Amino acid sequence: MNESKRPSYWSWALSDPGTERFQRAGRRLLVTMFVWGVCQSGSSYLIQHGFLPAAGPIPWVVAALPSVVAVFLLVGYSRMLREADELHRLIQLRALALGFGGGYFVISGYLLLEAAGAPTLRVDVLIAVLPLLYAVGLVLGSRRYR
Amino acid sequence: MKNRLKVLRAENDWTQARLARELDVSRQTINAIETGKYDPSLPLAFKMARLFDQPIEDIFTEIPVS
Repeated sequence: MNESKRPSYWSWALSDPGTERFQRAGRRLLVTMFVWGVCQSGSSYLIQHGFLPAAGPIPWVVAALPSVVAVFLLVGYSRMLREADELHRLIQLRALALGFGGGYFVISGYLLLEAAGAPTLRVDVLIAVLPLLYAVGLVLGSRRYR
Repeated sequence: MKNRLKVLRAENDWTQARLARELDVSRQTINAIETGKYDPSLPLAFKMARLFDQPIEDIFTEIPVS
């Protein structure tokens, strides 16, 4: 093994990818996340640009599709947690706590700022704070126990 | 909590990765336990005791609170 090899950003950030089973579950989750992203942006594009008939079941089906994929996303995440070892579960828990706890306070804080005159942000931009803080929590947790 | 995991691992001439495989945890978990940053759960501590064929209290000792 080349000891002088510079560590990648991923290994710097996540320190250790975990057991083989955990990594496999993580890879499956990434694929599901990608499918969800495609469905979410695709549905949003089709609806917002008027590519769908105004009446009938098709707009409903297209609008509901990302939520259906999101169920698989949640199942995949809980499967990944089940495959994680105890330290990685603790890291995930702390990241979730930062993501949701911190996200809630950032969003509610910004809504107050908006009321005071700050520029109005779109809901999806505000919600992006949650996964962003979750990712920060993952990196902090991994670095702490490296 | 103090532990003798690093010593026991060295006695068996195992790497952290090898011990991690034996215990079905990540190398990061072994490193965090060895450096005292993380205390393992009771099931994992029992697994270690079985693996090294030693009583748990010979591997882990409590640091008295001053």
